[in-house]
Amino acid sequence: MGAIARWFQERIPISGDQLRELTNEPVPHHLKRWWFCLGGTPAYLFVVQIVTGILLAFYYQPSPSTAYESVQFITEEAYYGWFLRGLHKWGATFMVAAVILHQMRVYFTGAFRKPRDLNWIVGMCLLLCTLMIGFTGYSLVFEQLSYWGATVAGNLTEQVPLVGPVFKRLLLGGEHYNPRTLSRFFILHAAVLPVTMLFLLAIHITLIRLHGVTEFHDEDEEEPQYFNFFPDHFYTELIIGLVLMIILSFLATTFPVQMGPKADPLHTPEIIKPEWYFYVMFRWLKLFSIGTAVLSIGLIIFAMFAWPWIDALLRRLGWENASVYIGIVAVLALVGLTVWEALVPH
Amino acid sequence: MEESKPASQSSSSPAAESETNRRDFLSSCSGAAMAFGLVGSYGTLVAMAGRFLYPANPDPKAWIYLAHVDEVPPGQSLEFKTPLGSPVVVARLGKGDHVEDYIALSSVCPHLGCQVFWEPQNDRFFCPCHNGTFDRTGKATGGPPAKANQNLVRFPLRLEGGSLFIQVPLVGPTQSLVGRSRRHEPGEV
Repeated sequence: MGAIARWFQERIPISGDQLRELTNEPVPHHLKRWWFCLGGTPAYLFVVQIVTGILLAFYYQPSPSTAYESVQFITEEAYYGWFLRGLHKWGATFMVAAVILHQMRVYFTGAFRKPRDLNWIVGMCLLLCTLMIGFTGYSLVFEQLSYWGATVAGNLTEQVPLVGPVFKRLLLGGEHYNPRTLSRFFILHAAVLPVTMLFLLAIHITLIRLHGVTEFHDEDEEEPQYFNFFPDHFYTELIIGLVLMIILSFLATTFPVQMGPKADPLHTPEIIKPEWYFYVMFRWLKLFSIGTAVLSIGLIIFAMFAWPWIDALLRRLGWENASVYIGIVAVLALVGLTVWEALVPH
Repeated sequence: MEESKPASQSSSSPAAESETNRRDFLSSCSGAAMAFGLVGSYGTLVAMAGRFLYPANPDPKAWIYLAHVDEVPPGQSLEFKTPLGSPVVVARLGKGDHVEDYIALSSVCPHLGCQVFWEPQNDRFFCPCHNGTFDRTGKATGGPPAKANQNLVRFPLRLEGGSLFIQVPLVGPTQSLVGRSRRHEPGEV
């Protein structure tokens, strides 16, 4: 055993202590509370998605004549295919939820403020990438939802002023959904977006390490308390990972992913809804005209990106807690529109 | 695992030592439980992934009508092409009317998968890739197949009311590599 350790030590000259020193950072005591671990949760789920996604890609065939059948093969014939697809699907749902909750936590604790404003922007990019990877993901199955979702998304993109038509052509690989669309979605889903997200995650984590985790001190606390990232916080993340895996396995087994009706370009189903994380946008599009909806969505996304500076302006004007109240209204609207869309058929 | 050192000299009293031992023991137990959980759960996932990647079902096969027995007199043979396009030699070696009197040989060399062909002048099947030879019953007689005793694969045959049926695979390289590809004509969507 000693000889093997020595063999590696000679070739990788770093000791356990050095490694600990390198990876360590003092973690503020408030990270013992689980809701402050919501940043690590999407990261863990991202790894789950990469692993299960690579496995699914072994069988998936991205063309209109084979996509649905290949997913059906995974779900109904390949050993454990139903389970791995279930993990991927539920993992996606949890990842979107975890990213949103993480962003809410960062927002309501004011952790987006200078000097972490740049990291907020990186986080916003990660949020958009997560939503896009979710959308391109369910578009790959080539169910009715996949086809009509992609059609709606293409037409929605077209409405964006100036660049819309070009982006639509780039997204669909033509004026309309065509035989080349699926392979575009597949490359976006399995290569472009994951690599972009890895790159953004690297920046996100580097910035966190450079600035340190945002600190909050209770007023009655005399000295700020810290604990070690490794192994203490690492163990916490490990346990969260295991618990998540148990929940995902339970959901994948109890609520297995089914095959919806195959895409039919000549017939839109009577009741059609996107995944739950697009309910807000879906309802929004029903409430307003297309032009107003697209412009307002663009404006909201821009405001979210620029919030560290909008918040700074509001505070300079004396509205110290404006961000909190605006945030509460936004969350209520988010939840309200989602529930509304979930409860009604149309 | 490293042994924990007592925090100070004064804590090395029997009571404190027993407390330290108990703590060490519990710490080891929880560590072992954690390791067991990690290896068990992720190990299961790895095993599932392995099974998932391994092809699920054997390739599908079908019984296909071949010929009427009168079309293959004793001592004669006929060449048949499977739906995938690979040639099969069907010969009537015996004089009887039983299915055992017929033989259907694959043209795929059992050595490394090349196509064999019949050499009438030598009364043998010959594989051009590595010089494997087989007699008319498919038995390897020369080259690498003979050394490893690899005979030509026999297709199952069935005789029903004078009709000969053969069981052939429906999925194979000829289908997936050639059969499905089709050139798009100009103007075709």
